[in-house]
Amino acid sequence: MMDDTRSAETPEVARELGFDPKMLEALVCPQTQSVLEYDAAAQELISRSAHLAYPIRNGIPVMLVDEARRLE
Amino acid sequence: MDDKTTHFGFETVPEAEKAGRVQGVFGSVASKYDVMNDVMSMGIHRIWKDAMMDWLAPRKGQRLLDVAGGTGDISFRFLKRAGEAHSTVLDITEPMLVEGRKRAEAEQMASSLDWVVGDAMALPFEDNTFDVYTISFGIRNVTRPQEALNEAFRVLKPGGRLMVLEFSQLPNAAMQKAYDAYSFNVIPRMGKLIANDADSYQYLVESIRNFPDQETFLQMVKTAGFENASYRNLSLGIAALHSGWKI
Repeated sequence: MMDDTRSAETPEVARELGFDPKMLEALVCPQTQSVLEYDAAAQELISRSAHLAYPIRNGIPVMLVDEARRLE
Repeated sequence: MDDKTTHFGFETVPEAEKAGRVQGVFGSVASKYDVMNDVMSMGIHRIWKDAMMDWLAPRKGQRLLDVAGGTGDISFRFLKRAGEAHSTVLDITEPMLVEGRKRAEAEQMASSLDWVVGDAMALPFEDNTFDVYTISFGIRNVTRPQEALNEAFRVLKPGGRLMVLEFSQLPNAAMQKAYDAYSFNVIPRMGKLIANDADSYQYLVESIRNFPDQETFLQMVKTAGFENASYRNLSLGIAALHSGWKI
């Protein structure tokens, strides 16, 4: 079984399970409900109005204010 | 000074602490969550989830938001019944979603599924986005369940449907006493045996006992704005399904 070797940490799987930018159409900032910008390099979703950057980990957006990076 | 408190099982904790502690519980049980559910409920949770689908009657083209969707159980059932549909699985606990996405069904249905870490009380979606909102064995873990219901109402489209599956209360004291004896004595021990984590399962049974009964929760659904709100008991009220419509 291939299943045993799969892990979200391996680079192949991380690519395969990469964030789908189509999801952006559905997502808004949970604090301000404004649109988000996708920073592919940093793997972050930026909310300008809340000054927050939400991380995307293993292709899964983490839309929690407590987990977001505060923007200067 | 904000010193509001809430329940964490039988403990009273500051509201600000609850989400983190819930994440701790489910993060720690994530990899054994499915098998524990089977053992704890003797497989009955599957029958309850099927009853949920029977009442929900998923239809082609519907867009589901599956809150506290964890390992994907509800979404997989929904998508199989609907034929062609889409589900967004949202959970506050990242390891639960990572587990869910590893499951074979998740791979087969990958193009119909999105996975999002988020808070039921502050959903990262626009108003009027979804046809169906489900939360299965999740709402009792939310710090302020009324706020989760209000958010459900906000993100549902007009004509959208709410469906909540949650442990509930038995109709008479003698039955409740027997059930309590089982849940408080047996479940944490099984949690220790299978997941090596008695504390997390102790929390689960305490949180079940603390959750509002059927009539109280029905009022909360109505307060959120839902119409034609009603409920059905499952297994005499060990669990209950609550339904409401955004009209």
